[in-house]
Amino acid sequence: MTTATTGIARALVAHRELVARAMDVFFPLRPGDRALVQAGEAVSRGQPIIERYRDVRTIVTDVAPNGEAPEPGQHHAEPAGRGARSDDPATGGELLFKSGGRWRLAGGARPEPIEAPFAGAVQAVQPGAGVTVRTQSSAIHGRAALAGPTWGRLHVATDADGELRAQHVDVGMAGSIIVAGARMDAEALTRARAVGIRGIIVAALGMKEQRDFLASERRGSAAVHGLPPFGILVLDGAARRPIASPLMAMFERLEGQMVAIVGTPPALVVDDPSIELPPPPADLLRVRSGPLAGAEGSWAGLAGPRRFPAGVTLEAAFVRFGGRPPVAIPIGDLERFA
Amino acid sequence: MTTVPRALLAIDAGAATTSVALLGKSTDRWRLLGSMAAPAGTPPDVLAAILADRLMGVDLALADHLGISSTSVEDLPRLEARSSPPATLAVLGASRRAVDLLAGVAARTPWHVRAASPETHDPREMTELALRPEVAAVLVGAGDPPGPDERGWLDDLAALVGAVARRRPELRVVLAGPVGDRPEWAEGFGEPIEGAAERVFHAPPIGVRSGPDEPLREVLESLIPNTSDTRHGAVRAVLSLADALDRRVEVLDIGLNGGLRAMASPGVADQGPSAIAVRTARAALVPAELDDAAVDAVLAWTTGSLDRHRMGDRLLDLRAQPWADAAGEGARLRLAAGRAALARLAARSADIGALASPDITVVAGGAFAAAPPRAVALAVADTIRRAGATQLANDHARLLGPLGTIDDPDERRGLVADLADDLLAPLGSLLVVASVPGSLRGSARAGRLTLDGDLHGRHDLAAGEISFIDLPPGDHALATLEFRDAARIGHRARRVAVPVSGGVAGIAVDLRDVPLRLPERRDRRRAALAAWGELAWPGDER
Repeated sequence: MTTATTGIARALVAHRELVARAMDVFFPLRPGDRALVQAGEAVSRGQPIIERYRDVRTIVTDVAPNGEAPEPGQHHAEPAGRGARSDDPATGGELLFKSGGRWRLAGGARPEPIEAPFAGAVQAVQPGAGVTVRTQSSAIHGRAALAGPTWGRLHVATDADGELRAQHVDVGMAGSIIVAGARMDAEALTRARAVGIRGIIVAALGMKEQRDFLASERRGSAAVHGLPPFGILVLDGAARRPIASPLMAMFERLEGQMVAIVGTPPALVVDDPSIELPPPPADLLRVRSGPLAGAEGSWAGLAGPRRFPAGVTLEAAFVRFGGRPPVAIPIGDLERFA
Repeated sequence: MTTVPRALLAIDAGAATTSVALLGKSTDRWRLLGSMAAPAGTPPDVLAAILADRLMGVDLALADHLGISSTSVEDLPRLEARSSPPATLAVLGASRRAVDLLAGVAARTPWHVRAASPETHDPREMTELALRPEVAAVLVGAGDPPGPDERGWLDDLAALVGAVARRRPELRVVLAGPVGDRPEWAEGFGEPIEGAAERVFHAPPIGVRSGPDEPLREVLESLIPNTSDTRHGAVRAVLSLADALDRRVEVLDIGLNGGLRAMASPGVADQGPSAIAVRTARAALVPAELDDAAVDAVLAWTTGSLDRHRMGDRLLDLRAQPWADAAGEGARLRLAAGRAALARLAARSADIGALASPDITVVAGGAFAAAPPRAVALAVADTIRRAGATQLANDHARLLGPLGTIDDPDERRGLVADLADDLLAPLGSLLVVASVPGSLRGSARAGRLTLDGDLHGRHDLAAGEISFIDLPPGDHALATLEFRDAARIGHRARRVAVPVSGGVAGIAVDLRDVPLRLPERRDRRRAALAAWGELAWPGDER
């Protein structure tokens, strides 16, 4: 291999961007939801940006024209019925469509606010679609986010390869977003929710745990008193593996700082824009899958096509782990960071 | 003055991996000089530079002759095909029956289909579905006249879709049947209907479901930009390939976001080559929305001890990082997922499956890119159950998609004809024998196969089993199959002679049931799969 290509061969390794310097975060609007902000408006953390009915349903109603003809997507408030008390919640919702002379509404009686999990500026409000808020702070990318949005102070509860068990989740962590290591089971998630933890950051979360958690969230949301915000940020995938060391270094830097978990895109937004996150080492490679999953080393050159177990031939690279001789690893199993 | 290029790059930017092939015209014909793939997102120029570097390492004179160097390779002309994630189509009907019929047709297109009817969703949920930002089009249909199960909801449905289309001016709407005639549609959409001609399309009603579904499929496929799509290009390239080789060619392609099955026939007399094709998002290697049924479909092809949850985790990771974990157990998992995807593809392309066995079956797509040849042959034999003989080949350099981007059919045919020997890596031949009498099941001598000129003599064939017989790439032979009772391989006979060609997998002779029936009991099914797998994964290299 010539000098010209030796330098670029490392580009064959999948490149994973860990941090965004600024990010547009999308908060979806479902039928019945109402945006409480307008494009260009500045929002602060905790400010309501969307109003959502907890018990949203389809309502059939007559809408009397009030000057202009009603349009789909408009918000409509039902007049209070006879005998209604002044503290009764007003029924209303979003006009969906008109059929047979009557309108179908998506609405309910108990609107609740969804609050901005970070300070930013509203970039766009698309009725029926969502609200986009831009943050100028750094944001750490994840692979997936469940539930949320939520915010709290970051607390690193385990090391990168650790696993937070239910018995180790204590009420002292209430109000915080915790870094829970390589994996977390459904029981620990339920307990974390119960003690008032606001969010979990974990390297991997299995399919069963995801389903159990989402089912629990649906039940909790339908309950009379609802649930405080809670979110899970999954950094890697479903099968157990340690948190990558560059990410762990960032979390350790953010210990005690206010952060937010958001879903679209899945990310951890840092509240303080002045915080500089430590950059990943330039020559670091991480084995993402295979027998050495989780191991980290440095690039030692392109190995070319190699035969691996199960008789498959794959393009490979030499990776040096510590002071040991380089090992040929399939390029597809590697990732590098930026 | 224009200069005729002597080298070019063929790039297939897939959803999982990017593949680059370096083509050169050293004498009077184009040849494949090398190919390489890397995880999606890798700049093609990096791959091209490494390929050029390797070429210079093995044949510097050829590289000089073609003007190829690692620094100038980025200036080469290129044929580039790309796979995009499937756009989402919301399919709405006034009854579950109606929506099932519509979704069945839509599933034979590259759209990712989300279906809803008033029997499964309330109007708010249907509105939410149609308003989602990822939904690019809505298909709404009814019979003409509407069926009794549709009449109660049709006006509401027309109003709902009209209102959604009014709120989302970029949304395209396909009206199949008399939905557009309902006053609620016009009222919901608004008067005057501005821009309706550009985004509202009409298709036949559901009532003609017993006829061919092409009219509706054509409308749906016309909404997807095809100019550089890999699978669209592959259909055009396989047309040229069939014409150039004067053979019937079938292509089976499984990728991360969808699959393709196409059958191309060479032109006859003054008629050009023809093809029928099904591109479907349902045949994705791992479905975008992984449910229990999808996990079970993969588990059914595995012999390991993973439970449903762990298998789900593995599949989620395969979906998220499709280029990773391609060796060892990961390779077996990938082939199990590939089989499940092939089975979904076969189910969506029964019209192609009913055709006679093609002369050549080309296997393509990332699902089979790194798998051992016999394992690929076994996966095809397991899922595409059609009695007959076919030659198996692999689009190993992923050239079909890029070659299909050439618009001029004559120019494309010329290039494909030049490259035919290089673009098809011969896997071997697949002989599927059907209607082997049940009384012979388990018999070691249900029949025998003799190859012309084979020094090893005759090969005994067992009913209900598959066997591999070595025949090197490039070798051709006449295989004579003799059975104790009549069996079907193309036609019913006790003695059949078919030409076969060799490959790295050899000849696969399959006397299992058509369609394949696996034992109901899990342990027996796994035992059967393990026994067949040992033939395909020799030495059990884990």
